[in-house]
Amino acid sequence: MAYFIQVLIDAVALGSLYALVALAIGLVFGVMKLINFAQADYLTVGAYSLVIPTAAATPSMMFGGLPWALMIFCVVLSVTVLALITERVAFRPLRNTDPTTLLISSFAVSYFLQSLIIMFHGGRPKSVSIGAALTRPIDIFGLRVGGVQFLTMTVALLLLIVLVLFLKRTSIGIQLRAAAEDFSMARLLGVAANRVIAIAFAISGILGGVISLLFVIQTGTLDIRMGIMPTVYAFFATVIGGIGSLPGAVLGGYIVGILSVFLQAYLPEEMRPFRDAGVFTIVILILLVRPQGLIVTSAAKERV
Amino acid sequence: MAKSPKQKLQAKNVHVVFGGIKALTGVTLTLNAGDILGLIGPNGAGKTTLVNVLSGFQKPKPGTIELDGRDVSDLSPRKMAQAGIGRSFQAARLFRKLTVLENLTVAGLGIGLSRKAATSQARDILDWIGYRHGHDRQCDSLPYSDERRISIARALALQPSFTLLDEPASGMNEQECELLMETITGIPKNFGCGVMLIEHNMQVIMGVCHRIHVLDGGRSLAEGSPEEVRNDPNVLRAYLGDRASQKNAVI
Amino acid sequence: MRIFERLFPVLALVVPLAGVVWTIDQFGSAGVERVSTEALIRLVFAIGLYIFAGNSGIVSFGHMTFCAIAAYATAWQTCCAMLKPITMSGLPAFIRDNTFPLLPAALTSIGLAGVVAFTSGLILMRLSSLSASISTLALMFILNVIYSNWTTVTMGSSTIVGLPVYVTIWIALGCAALVIVIAYLYQVSRWGLMLRATREDEVAAQASGTSLYWSRLIAFTLSGFVAGLAGVLFAHFMGTVSIANFFLNHTFLIVAMLVIGGMQSLAGAVVGVTFISVVIELFRRAEVGFSVGSMQMSIPAGSQELILAGIMLLILIFRKAGIMGGKELRWPWSVRDDGTVAGVGQVRLARSANCHR
Repeated sequence: MAYFIQVLIDAVALGSLYALVALAIGLVFGVMKLINFAQADYLTVGAYSLVIPTAAATPSMMFGGLPWALMIFCVVLSVTVLALITERVAFRPLRNTDPTTLLISSFAVSYFLQSLIIMFHGGRPKSVSIGAALTRPIDIFGLRVGGVQFLTMTVALLLLIVLVLFLKRTSIGIQLRAAAEDFSMARLLGVAANRVIAIAFAISGILGGVISLLFVIQTGTLDIRMGIMPTVYAFFATVIGGIGSLPGAVLGGYIVGILSVFLQAYLPEEMRPFRDAGVFTIVILILLVRPQGLIVTSAAKERV
Repeated sequence: MAKSPKQKLQAKNVHVVFGGIKALTGVTLTLNAGDILGLIGPNGAGKTTLVNVLSGFQKPKPGTIELDGRDVSDLSPRKMAQAGIGRSFQAARLFRKLTVLENLTVAGLGIGLSRKAATSQARDILDWIGYRHGHDRQCDSLPYSDERRISIARALALQPSFTLLDEPASGMNEQECELLMETITGIPKNFGCGVMLIEHNMQVIMGVCHRIHVLDGGRSLAEGSPEEVRNDPNVLRAYLGDRASQKNAVI
Repeated sequence: MRIFERLFPVLALVVPLAGVVWTIDQFGSAGVERVSTEALIRLVFAIGLYIFAGNSGIVSFGHMTFCAIAAYATAWQTCCAMLKPITMSGLPAFIRDNTFPLLPAALTSIGLAGVVAFTSGLILMRLSSLSASISTLALMFILNVIYSNWTTVTMGSSTIVGLPVYVTIWIALGCAALVIVIAYLYQVSRWGLMLRATREDEVAAQASGTSLYWSRLIAFTLSGFVAGLAGVLFAHFMGTVSIANFFLNHTFLIVAMLVIGGMQSLAGAVVGVTFISVVIELFRRAEVGFSVGSMQMSIPAGSQELILAGIMLLILIFRKAGIMGGKELRWPWSVRDDGTVAGVGQVRLARSANCHR
């Protein structure tokens, strides 16, 4: 029972993380029909901004050496700026093209950023330790929970709540949701396109920054590909949630996160390395039953 | 020309609701082979929705579509096309990177013709509709009125028993309208099929239709000969509203 | 003459390729020959991807899956008879204990790739085009996870070495020419035409009696076979097979080549692969270093990837249809009825005058 609850906490933690990334991807998709592959590199860049660019395997700290509040601020700020730059330079000129072209262009942006990181940091994984104090297990009601899991869950849930409140309560948030539902209608009603798109990218940057820190605290390593898995998972979260639906993205995020943790916990030992394959297979099977995703929006259906 | 021509396409008590908005409420109509039926009504009356229902793009809920008495409500758009219902689109929707000839050939292949038969049929139809040159032209560079005509021709390439034309005259000038009317009148004669015509241009509607069905707010308002509809006070009031007095002259 | 005209789009691609290959064979260094062979194999793969993505308008990020499946399948059958029972003990006995002739091994491997493409296509092609695009990515991740961890059969993330190396530049050329012909015959076939119609307008294609599902599935399967051929060629060109080679980097490279050349035509695929292969080779050499006068110069490592991504973005922004703009090479003197014939206007005017009452 105790094991189950620990697994459950893990599942909620990871699910919340994926839900956040999925929400970032869903927001950007909503406002410009772009499935942003470069979200992976927002995460990676955030993590690498902790250290000074060298080829060394244990590099000295850059932002990672700052007091924690300042560190978070600097990392989040630099990722947000990066997200806004990619929007301005690469995606804005393509704004009215078809989703497939946009997807390919984000693939190119992602590759560009990845190559840039390799150029400055080298391609080998690095070890970096921040927040070592947080990794100690803590007791909650007699349960020993990994400090990192607890942190991840708290931060992710908190961010999710803040983001949902932002989307539901503030006028900008409502504009953003309106734009995600029906962009051309929202524009007719006076929503400024450049602004909502910039805000969507800024949010995906902020989330990217925070999530990258959570990942680094968890793993203690930097890797060129560290952003890819969470982003690809988030892609599928948005797809099975119903492409274009924000609640769907969150729901999908929790589904893939929970699936992933439960498979890891309950698969027989020798099958565990195949966990990701299992999750993807289940995702595809869900799509087989509901090709449009769990929550079907008008955006997903082409008008005749 | 059609392989097994159908005689009657019926919509029975068709309802469609979009997110709480009633697009169609209890619409019933019959389209007979050889007939030209006009479907008119103000914007938002549900005309295009009805065409979508009749061509399988929208499922009636509740309601049935019957083809010679057989319930075809659940057929996919593709099966509807193969069963003998061809349609054109308000926005033409040509295959833009394909040539004019290929656009029609695709429809021929869609009903199972061989490549050769589909191509020669495509040429025949283009000739018939008066598009004798430019068969190899890519469809992204066509004048507006040609797009419309080819959209009709492509629907005919399905060898349909019934052809549904969604505002084929919009954006056409006087002369092009005249030509179009001639074409539409010729469809039942040459292809043996029934035509349903959505159109805002009253001149075209009154000029070619044998009967007219009027929709308003998703309901059937009236049906009858052009003469009857023209003189139906309900139609004038609902459809033309305040402008009735001005437009009356045109009709 | 008409036959020549109809085959011109193919000949215009194959003949220059053959000319280049002959020149390299006669005068090129071993290094150039090697690079060119690799480029030709990439071309085979790119055309495989084109068959599906170019005609359907759905980009697949997962075709490396089929490449990997065929490469591993041929490795299982042909490599290292002595080591196999130890390094790949999990293989079925008849494969583990036997070494198969090269050609049957190649054919069965390609067949396996095609079968996997068909089976996965049965599911993926039901999805909307954007979801299908993303789900092809899932396919590649699934395969990558399985093959990286199925240690007793695939040697996990280690490299299988000792495959017979038989792919010369001429074999690569022959295969490239073959798949160019296959791709061309497919795209002018009824199924190719119907698929291109779905690419242009899904709704109108359905209203014209076309099945999105079957037209896509056929192309997906065929492209799976061709990708499988590329996989076999890769394996027997390198002599080694490693799962790391069949992942995102290579996928990006090929997608970039297709996009830059122009995704929507066969000529675009060929031009893209050729052009980018040359660019990459130039930058690779520049990264190694070159001398200007007495000075030794080089550009930073990793610039070629940056340049490639940069070119791709520029093409997407300024010339979305790629270098070839979605056009095939056509016999310049062929008779095409593009409506520019004098007198068309008059005919129409005359008709409308008649009916103007």
